[in-house]
Amino acid sequence: MGDVVTTAQVAGQIREILTELTGRLIPPDLPPDTPLLRDGVGLDSLGATLLLTAVRDRLGVDVADEDLNLDSLASIGTLAAFVADRLTNHQSR
Amino acid sequence: MIWDLDNTLLAGVYLEDSRPPAEQQLTGVLDELSRRGILQAIASKNPPDAADYATDLLRHEFAAVRCDWSAKSAAISSILAELGLGPQEAAFVDDDALERAEVSFTLPDVLVLEPRDMPDAVGWPQFSPPVITAEGRRRGELYRQRRARHEQAKAFGGSTAEFLRYSRTAVRIASAQAGDLARLHELSLRTHQFNSSGVEVTTEGFAALLRAPDQQVITVRLSDKFGDDGMVGGCVLATARWRMPLLMMSCRALGRGVIDALLIWACRKAADAGATQLVVPCVINSRNVPLRIALTSAGFRANGDSGGPADGDSGDSADTATPRTADYARPLDKPLPELPEWVTW
Repeated sequence: MGDVVTTAQVAGQIREILTELTGRLIPPDLPPDTPLLRDGVGLDSLGATLLLTAVRDRLGVDVADEDLNLDSLASIGTLAAFVADRLTNHQSR
Repeated sequence: MIWDLDNTLLAGVYLEDSRPPAEQQLTGVLDELSRRGILQAIASKNPPDAADYATDLLRHEFAAVRCDWSAKSAAISSILAELGLGPQEAAFVDDDALERAEVSFTLPDVLVLEPRDMPDAVGWPQFSPPVITAEGRRRGELYRQRRARHEQAKAFGGSTAEFLRYSRTAVRIASAQAGDLARLHELSLRTHQFNSSGVEVTTEGFAALLRAPDQQVITVRLSDKFGDDGMVGGCVLATARWRMPLLMMSCRALGRGVIDALLIWACRKAADAGATQLVVPCVINSRNVPLRIALTSAGFRANGDSGGPADGDSGDSADTATPRTADYARPLDKPLPELPEWVTW
């Protein structure tokens, strides 16, 4: 409880999930401001759903439920920051 | 419905038995489920030629095929991504307990079955869509057109907008007619990723909306040079307050500019009538993330929860019968984008 979860740790886990989802290696040196949708990582909106489902199941943060406007899907960095913040400040489980 | 091959759809093992025959009972199930408009796919740890063998043997065109040595969960995820479906809409059958366990663990929303469940499963509600329209029966064929479209899109050098023009995309927006009601009902049942209310609307329900003076029921049809998808979506517009109580779109239309076109069209209509904003109330769940992405990229923003219908209590979102919803609003005071020329009204 109360452990600080860093954005970098979460970003690593998100890259792993993305590698599985896209079948392409998402390298650690990919800039964190790379967009997740379309021209960045290249997810379409259904891919984004699969990503958020995997994040919920593995990291325990339900982004689809908490981020109404889904602004956290802007990039790997914004999503990692959102999840890390929830894990650090709202560790209810 | 995603099938394993060895000792499941095939009565034997592809690489060990030379040309194993089809498993008769499961082939019957496959045919029956196809007749109901349920898409069929293969996920098998085999060389790619096993897919051709099974397709010829079973005389069945599968909507998607994965014959390789990746984990079954990875094969299933990739099939779902290709078909534009969510794990909640998928079932997987495999004779191997380990494979079933791996899929259950990694994709807990997928319905995982043993071959011996299948004859029974035909009678289960999950496999018994209450209405099957012409569009529904043609699903397999429409997904094959989709594959052809995807391959050309990948090879196409230009932008998405240029590809939509090149493929002679045509979107027709129209007021619903009596003959549209069955398909509208089917869309309200079958759309999940692009459905704002998550509530089934019956044929009678749509008929009543059609008669209501301050409601407009709108249909959207889509075609291009690869094929005619028929009616892919619709919406209900409450014109007194310029709210859209229902917005739904088939995943077939994904990436083809259709939902964006419908939203621009509705915004322009509201603006022409003097409205200052258009509001789309939308349930908040993990399945309609694509719809919410479409709304925000069209300039809609959620202004916090509108809660259930009754109160705005701060209580934790306990699972009650009323799903959580939020109002997504788009102001109409600034100039709106033009409708692409391939959209007709």
